[in-house]
Amino acid sequence: MKKCLLLLAIIILLTLQLAWPGFLIFFNCKPDLLLVFAVSLVFYLDFKTALIFGILSGLAKDMFLPVTFATNTISFSLLSYLIHILARRVSTETNYVRFAIILIASFLNNIVAGLGIIRAGNIIPLGIFLRNLIILSVYSMALSPLIFKLIKKITT
Amino acid sequence: MFKLPRKTLINFALVACLILLVSNSLSCFKNSLPLTIRPGLSLISLLKRELRGFIFYHRNMIKAEESDKQIEALRANLFDLREVYQENIRLKNLLSFKQKSPLCLIPARVIGRSLDSWTSCVIIDKGRSSGIKSGMVVINNQGLIGRIAESTDNISKILLINDPSQGISSIVQRSRQEGLVNGTLGANLIMRYLPEDAQVAVGDTIVTSELSHIYPKGLLIGKVVNVGCEFSGLNRYAIIRPAVDLNSIEEVMVIIP
Repeated sequence: MKKCLLLLAIIILLTLQLAWPGFLIFFNCKPDLLLVFAVSLVFYLDFKTALIFGILSGLAKDMFLPVTFATNTISFSLLSYLIHILARRVSTETNYVRFAIILIASFLNNIVAGLGIIRAGNIIPLGIFLRNLIILSVYSMALSPLIFKLIKKITT
Repeated sequence: MFKLPRKTLINFALVACLILLVSNSLSCFKNSLPLTIRPGLSLISLLKRELRGFIFYHRNMIKAEESDKQIEALRANLFDLREVYQENIRLKNLLSFKQKSPLCLIPARVIGRSLDSWTSCVIIDKGRSSGIKSGMVVINNQGLIGRIAESTDNISKILLINDPSQGISSIVQRSRQEGLVNGTLGANLIMRYLPEDAQVAVGDTIVTSELSHIYPKGLLIGKVVNVGCEFSGLNRYAIIRPAVDLNSIEEVMVIIP
């Protein structure tokens, strides 16, 4: 049942991200709900389940992006693994630590996405690169409490 | 037959003439009388209104509540109608464009937008089952939108012209100066590889060139809003404002080659 609800949550977040309302887009940036979901799962579930649903979130995101290589699937699974290792050394019980982890994870994911575009030979103005990097990460982190609540409701 | 005596008729006519004469000659009287009684009349009507409001307070309250509900319902209807009206205008424009255009076009509706901010794409409700294949060009009545990046049976992904991976061979319509238009992920596009003495100025129209193998010749891309010199100093660039507002496209046309 819990797994079905987690799958349903991925579908809902995917739909929400695809049809994100225009008035909630700031500086052409919208939050990466699936990334926040994939990372947050590590805080609330055992590593194996979190990793599987993290990969599924990444796959769902990659399916609707025009790029063919599964960047997000790899990135989400790697981030889940790294946070799992970090959680063994640092306490991730308080919300502030979780927010900081989400911010860093989002930042890293955006750097990978941005550098991927540059590596492919395409040019992005520095202003737009930094805007996407900073605003996207902060926006994703700002919405993370809602995702935490959603996962808490599903897992309890 | 009913007949009035002549004397009575004459008397009546005389009285009428007298009244007309008095009322016409004494216009000050005609104006001043209503002015004199107006405050009194206003006061009476005000008192009557207040008294009626006091007596029928409960009935008025219920009526007001009903009216409020009706206003809300009508407002919602008006909002829906405004949406339908705007959609109607858009579809009419698209239809007239389709009828005028010599190209073979398939209309489609945008159902989703890009998942992240590192790519610029939209998802449309038509796919391979409607004859749409990857690589096909997408336009609307305002200009070029992009090309199909991927197509499944029922949906297709359109890579918009402001995606950084887009490179469109284009020309300045006025001077026929060639260049390459790239997306920047922002609201504007950039036309690069313009020589130092390029004939390009603010306000020039940019269209696709015949050198492009993907895009048909002559599709409107946008207008030049700024011209600058590249860091190396060897080339110039032009900033282009797309003809289509890429953030608010709702209906598109796919060109079938």
